[in-house]
Amino acid sequence: MARRIELMAPAGSFESLTAAIQAGADSVYFGVEQLNMRVKASSNFTLGDIPRVMAMCRQNGVKAYLTINTIIYTHDITIMKSIIDIAIKNKVNAVIASDQAVMTYARRVGMPVHISTQANVSNIDSLEFYSAYADAVVLARELTLKQVSAITKEIRRRKITGPSEELMKVEVFGHGALCMAISGKCYLSLHSAYSSANRGACVQNCRRSYVVTDKEQGIEFEVDNQYIMSAKDLCTIDFLDQLIGSGASILKLEGRGRSADYVHTVTKCYREAIDACYMGLYSKELVKYWKEQLSTVFNRGFWDGYYLGRTIGEWSHDYGSKATKKKVYLGRGLKYFEYSRAAEFRIEAQSLSVGNEILITGPTTGVVQTRINEIRVNDIPTDTVHKGDIISIPLPDRVRPADKLYKLVDV
Amino acid sequence: MVRITQWRNKCIGCNICVEVAFYRWRISTKDGRCTLVEGIESKGLFTAIVGDDEYEINKTAAKHCPVKIIRVEKMKS
Repeated sequence: MARRIELMAPAGSFESLTAAIQAGADSVYFGVEQLNMRVKASSNFTLGDIPRVMAMCRQNGVKAYLTINTIIYTHDITIMKSIIDIAIKNKVNAVIASDQAVMTYARRVGMPVHISTQANVSNIDSLEFYSAYADAVVLARELTLKQVSAITKEIRRRKITGPSEELMKVEVFGHGALCMAISGKCYLSLHSAYSSANRGACVQNCRRSYVVTDKEQGIEFEVDNQYIMSAKDLCTIDFLDQLIGSGASILKLEGRGRSADYVHTVTKCYREAIDACYMGLYSKELVKYWKEQLSTVFNRGFWDGYYLGRTIGEWSHDYGSKATKKKVYLGRGLKYFEYSRAAEFRIEAQSLSVGNEILITGPTTGVVQTRINEIRVNDIPTDTVHKGDIISIPLPDRVRPADKLYKLVDV
Repeated sequence: MVRITQWRNKCIGCNICVEVAFYRWRISTKDGRCTLVEGIESKGLFTAIVGDDEYEINKTAAKHCPVKIIRVEKMKS
């Protein structure tokens, strides 16, 4: 059997990293300091976090890739080199780069390179050019499956190898937000908010609603869909067999700016779907189930991106998420009683009742999702608890003081 | 007098403050982040006390900072 497609999940925080590992990712990608495309994400890793990230990945047999894929200015060269040096020392599997300065330095010091989608590789000759530096290329997200297949076929025919002397690997995006411009080549955010998307600081103005105004007469044009620049989210789970058949080696999930429960749900669905494809169990019924699961976490509605050959993007009809469930913050973990397998929480907001679905997230805990069968306050069973109560609930998974407790409610 | 404060380790090195108020901000080629000229560090925050004439220009730098890590305030005399 051909080598299985590698499932690469996003890790924007230790919580997401643990969630990705728990959900069955083969590899993760993460950014440190200021030279990555999610620099505005609230919890970015620092250089000092790399050893811990790598230790967690090694312990679980998961590969880790480090993104250094913004535009690089001359003043960034020293920090870029420091990041790569520390990455080598900690045995990071590869860096994901789009700037030639990063590729050249990484190649010189022996750090494997993946070419970022920011480089917009859309043809075989361009891929061959980058084979002097990289072992894997993330293709532009605007290619069709036919174009992806043609490129992978041509890699085999021309025997294009990277520095590792193995055939070049092709990586494709499988799920998550899409950019309205060609993979990040957008100036909207910079022009309106001095906040460059190409330095990882996109303010996402494309996600808002707009009207078109005739400047001469001041007439406002009615546009059926006001969100004329906000693309729906990519979802490939209903044609994953075709995507695997295209010859891509790595399936990448977008979402370093997303929460741990998002990473857990999306990674788990794609893990199951990939395994089902290889076991011959991939079916319409399962796709329906996975799509329902994917709909429960943040999304702007789904479409198949450009893979199936559409000529124009599908646009979102609303602002923000179309998730069918939302999480409501309740409180924090206090203790875990190993013997009785019960977790203690302090409720800091809202209320919680027996029968509610809960979500617990934490840097070491990752994501735990379950339904409440029993709540105790001072060891007395209670149906509903409120803000201020200290509660204990039976839970097979260990929770820790840094963990947050949420209630999942239907939207 | 005017107090300028910068949360330096959140800087993404976009250079906009340097472009707006070049005599108050310098980009560091060591770590790619912006340095507040004459800033004194305390617990990760850099602070400089400057003349009133610098208020407007640094207010503009603060407004344009994409990660909003610059604070400019007039001090009570």
